Amino acid sequence: MTRMAFLTTVAALALATPALAVEKSEVLNTYVTIAQAKYQDSLITAQRLQTAVNALLDAPSAENLTAARAAWLEARVPYQQTEVYRFGNAVVDDWEGKVNAWPLDEGLIDYVDASYGGASDENEFAVLNVVASPKFTLSGKEIDATAITPELLSETLHEADGIESNVATGYHAIEFMLWGQDLNGNDHGAGDRPWTDYATGDDCTNGNCDRRGEYLKAATDLLVSDLEWMVAQWADGGAARTGVLDDENAGLAAILTGMGSLSYGEQAGERMRLGLMLNDPEEEHDCFSDNTHNSHYYDGLGVQNVYLGEYVRVDGTLVSGPSLSDMVAEADANLDAEMQGKLSTTMMALGRIKTAAEAGFSYDQMLERGNEAGEALVMGGVNGLIDQTRSIERVVKALGLDQIAFEGSDSLDDPNAVFQ
Amino acid sequence: MRRILLIAFAVAAPCITAAQAADPVVAKIIDTHILPRFETLAQSSGQLADAAATDCTPKSETLRAAYGRAFDAWVAVSHLRFGPTETNDRAFALAFWPDSRGVTPRTLASLITDQDPVIATPQEFSQVSIAGRGFYAMEFLLYDDTISTAGDAAYHCALVQAVATDIAATSAEILADWQGDYAARLLNPSPNGTYRSQEETVQELFKALTTGLEFTSDTRLGRPLGSFDKPRPTRAEVWRSGRSVRHVKISLESLENLMLLLVGDNADLAARSKHAFETTLSKLGILNDPVFAGVTDPQTRLKIEVVQQSVDAIRDIARQELGPELGVAAGFNALDGD
Repeated sequence: MTRMAFLTTVAALALATPALAVEKSEVLNTYVTIAQAKYQDSLITAQRLQTAVNALLDAPSAENLTAARAAWLEARVPYQQTEVYRFGNAVVDDWEGKVNAWPLDEGLIDYVDASYGGASDENEFAVLNVVASPKFTLSGKEIDATAITPELLSETLHEADGIESNVATGYHAIEFMLWGQDLNGNDHGAGDRPWTDYATGDDCTNGNCDRRGEYLKAATDLLVSDLEWMVAQWADGGAARTGVLDDENAGLAAILTGMGSLSYGEQAGERMRLGLMLNDPEEEHDCFSDNTHNSHYYDGLGVQNVYLGEYVRVDGTLVSGPSLSDMVAEADANLDAEMQGKLSTTMMALGRIKTAAEAGFSYDQMLERGNEAGEALVMGGVNGLIDQTRSIERVVKALGLDQIAFEGSDSLDDPNAVFQ
Repeated sequence: MRRILLIAFAVAAPCITAAQAADPVVAKIIDTHILPRFETLAQSSGQLADAAATDCTPKSETLRAAYGRAFDAWVAVSHLRFGPTETNDRAFALAFWPDSRGVTPRTLASLITDQDPVIATPQEFSQVSIAGRGFYAMEFLLYDDTISTAGDAAYHCALVQAVATDIAATSAEILADWQGDYAARLLNPSPNGTYRSQEETVQELFKALTTGLEFTSDTRLGRPLGSFDKPRPTRAEVWRSGRSVRHVKISLESLENLMLLLVGDNADLAARSKHAFETTLSKLGILNDPVFAGVTDPQTRLKIEVVQQSVDAIRDIARQELGPELGVAAGFNALDGD
């Protein structure tokens, strides 16, 4: 009886106050708070990576290389969860290529196996090998690379010759420096760079160990400074934060745009289905470290936790608040249940990939031609992501956000324009 | 290519409301746009397989002509990327492009070098990487200087036949699904169906239009254009067979047909849409540069850029006028990644 009375009261209240109990501003606040926490966590873990890299370069050893690899893997956990902030937020999109560009022609950076091939139709710098080349010519310009600095990487080498696969900076460049090429094809096993690639004196393998060390340090330092910049964008008064908060409907649309674009075009398409259809282990997102199962898992988790308004930080604390889910539930409870259900289904599917990979069936094996179990696992994730995108479109509709024409609008392209 | 926005938005009140009866616009699109085109694809792909069985030499005029007709048919449906084309990745198996990492020649070269027995049966061949299947792989087998003459002649011949047979089988499967239940699903939305309302059906078709226009502008035209400082003529679609401009033309003609059907009886919008397509096609027609080689020449480049802008003007009409008219937004599409 008590319960029934309570429900009646709620219904009466709902009728009396047509305004939604969850305010748009609260939902947006949760969204930017979680963004800030995720980028802070990415920075914290990147600084730990930096410490580990410095230790490796100070005292090269197998143990120190292993420790640096472990730090890189940990750093990926929060970062991948930030990817859902791409596509909807111009500040993130304009910056993202510096830190997570992929796939890369790693021969630009360091030595590669003969099977990698040479310069290609698409990229004449695919085997430039800057570690071994203190001086070289790039697009007709003589480049002095005797000192390998963060500036050389970001200003000169990154996307050299206007080619996107000339990736000189970010997580995947560092990943290559720590693991080296994965030469196992579709077989189990990651890259196996020897620690002696960073050794001094006669112990040095594959030449130019000092320059290789300089490269690793420059790339790691650059990652840290790039993340510092992004953390500031989400702090009070930061451009990314105000970009979301200034226009409530555009802010909500940005949340959903990120969720939908990451789910469908990027993750389901570019990163998962394409690699499977090509049977190509080089299409793995984390192809050197064989960490792709985790990259996919945490990308998916990012989509889910943005919708639910709940994020567990790297120190275990929970950041949460009024969520998009709460708002959708008020507009259409069935749709919220559908959305939550689909996000859970996707996480279950991505979890299967992760658990199988951790048990020894690695992602590159899943991509092998004719491997039906692998195909089923990967397609489970793809189908979940595509299916949840349909529900995201329904959420856009249910919240009336399809009526905001913001493509090419000033507020998105230039967050400052609205003040002018 | 990083993209900021994905959702295009309607501004006006919808004029298509959920009706009980099947939507006549949707019915007409299925009957006059979708089904006939997939029938043509299935038929011409079957003829391609027959031609390859008769004569598999890359320079065979009969084979090349059959290939051209089947590829034309594919381009005319290449915007209809939903439902049957997406099941089992059929569209990807027919058409893997762009191939920015050069996987197609690499995959074909390794099949040929290894004399990989996977081509023995259609069943096994369907497991091969999409880079080694479909129309774009066939172009390398028939027209690429190296791949067309590579390896053992008998194996090369068998590979051409395997690719052709696979194209025919995939095209037939797509048609069978459309004729099976997919047309009905699209026509009769239901609360538990693939499409829950007429609005979702119309949105699917509208999305096919906008995605098709986007692909033609950004990819078919945008890739060879590159930037002024760095034009990329070898990134043009199927330049080896000299079909680059032809693909833009066929896709635009097909998209015009779809757009006019979606516009329906709004005479003013129909006239302006028609005019926008005619303008674009006539600009394309006077290029006289079948593979966009002129992207490197400032004068010709300008003309190609004008074609691209002209396609973008059509996109604007679709997004800003047709979308609101239909009461739908473009939603997300497979090109949304970076």
